Amino acid sequence: MIEGEIVNLRAPERDDLDRLWTWINDPEVIEHLSMRYPMSREAERAWVEMQTAGPLRFFDVRFAIETKDGAQIGSIAFHRVVAEQRSATLGIMIGDKAHWSRGYGADAIRTLLRFAFDQMNLRRVDLSVDADNARGIACYTKVGFTLEGRLRQARYQRGRYEDLLVMSILRDEFEAAAG
Amino acid sequence: MIEGTLVNLRQRELTDHLRTHAWLNDREVTRFHPTRYAYSLAYEEAHYRLATSSGQTRERASFAIETKEGLHIGNCGLTLQYAESGSAELGIMVGDTSYWNRGYGTDAVRLLVRFGFETMNLHRIALAVYDFNARGIASYRKAGFVDEGRRRQAFYHRGCYGDTVIMSILRDEYDPGAGRGMA
Repeated sequence: MIEGEIVNLRAPERDDLDRLWTWINDPEVIEHLSMRYPMSREAERAWVEMQTAGPLRFFDVRFAIETKDGAQIGSIAFHRVVAEQRSATLGIMIGDKAHWSRGYGADAIRTLLRFAFDQMNLRRVDLSVDADNARGIACYTKVGFTLEGRLRQARYQRGRYEDLLVMSILRDEFEAAAG
Repeated sequence: MIEGTLVNLRQRELTDHLRTHAWLNDREVTRFHPTRYAYSLAYEEAHYRLATSSGQTRERASFAIETKEGLHIGNCGLTLQYAESGSAELGIMVGDTSYWNRGYGTDAVRLLVRFGFETMNLHRIALAVYDFNARGIASYRKAGFVDEGRRRQAFYHRGCYGDTVIMSILRDEYDPGAGRGMA
C-alpha cells in the first residue's frame, strides 16, 4: 500500500474485476483511453487474472487507486519501463465518475511519481493525452508535466483525426515542484 | 521490388543476416541506433529466419535497401501502431557507411513513405531520431517530415542522456511525385 494525500495505491486484486469490467465498457470513461471495442466479462477476467498472477516488479508496475475509505475508484500503471533510460510511460483511469475533477487523479499521479523517483530510481515519466482532453491536460499540468510535442492527427476517433500531446516530467522537476 | 532513383527496396532474405549482423556490431553505425548490446551471428540468423519465413503484413513491412547494382546497403521498414488511426513508425539503417551522405537513405525513406501511403493506406508516418543525428534529421526533412516534438532526456546512450526528436509526415503532406524518381 502506497499512501497519498487523498488516495492509496494498492496491488490489483481479482475482486477488482466487476468494477474494471463496468468502467471499460462505459463510453464516457474510455473516451480518452486507447480501448474502443466492447469487452466481454471473460476477456476482462483473463486480463485481470494475468495482471494479478505475478508480483509487481520494476517492469510491471500497476496499482488500483483507492480512496482513504478503501473504495476503488480507478487504476494507474506504467505501460512501458525502459531500464537503460530509467524512463516510463504512465496511464491512468478514474473509472468512478463521481470522483472526477476532484483531485483524486492528480493525487494518484503524484503518489506514483514519488514511488517512481524514490523507489524505482526513474528519472523521466511521460504520457500521451488527447489534445481535446482538457481535464486530463489540466491535471497533468498541475502535477508538473511539461508539454514537449504534438503528434499530429495521431488518433482517429469519433469520425475524425485528432492530435495527441506528449508530456513529461523529469525527476528534478518533480522534486522542485514537491518542495 | 520497389524502384527508386538510387536504391530499390526488396524483401528481406535469410542471407541478409550476415551484413546486418556486421552493421549492428559496428559502433559507428549503432551510434545512431537504439541497439546497445552485442548480438551473436546465431541470434541474428534466428531473427532473420523467423522474419523471412512469414509474409509481409500491414503490421510490419520491412525491406532490404539495395543499390541499383544489387548491393545490400541497409534495412528499413514500417511498423503499424494503430490500425484505426492508420499510424505507423518508420525505421531505417544504412549500415554500409560508404553510402552515407549521398542521398541513398533519403531515397529509401521516400520509397517507404510512398509505400506506406499508396499501398498500406496509412494516414500518418512518424519516427524518432536522436537529436545529435543531424544527418538523419536533414534527410527526413528533405523527404517531407515535419518536426513535431522533442522528448527531453528520453534516451541514454554512451554515457549521457539526450533528447529524441519526433517527426512525422501526414498523407496530405505527401507529394506523390517525390518517390518516383522525378526529383
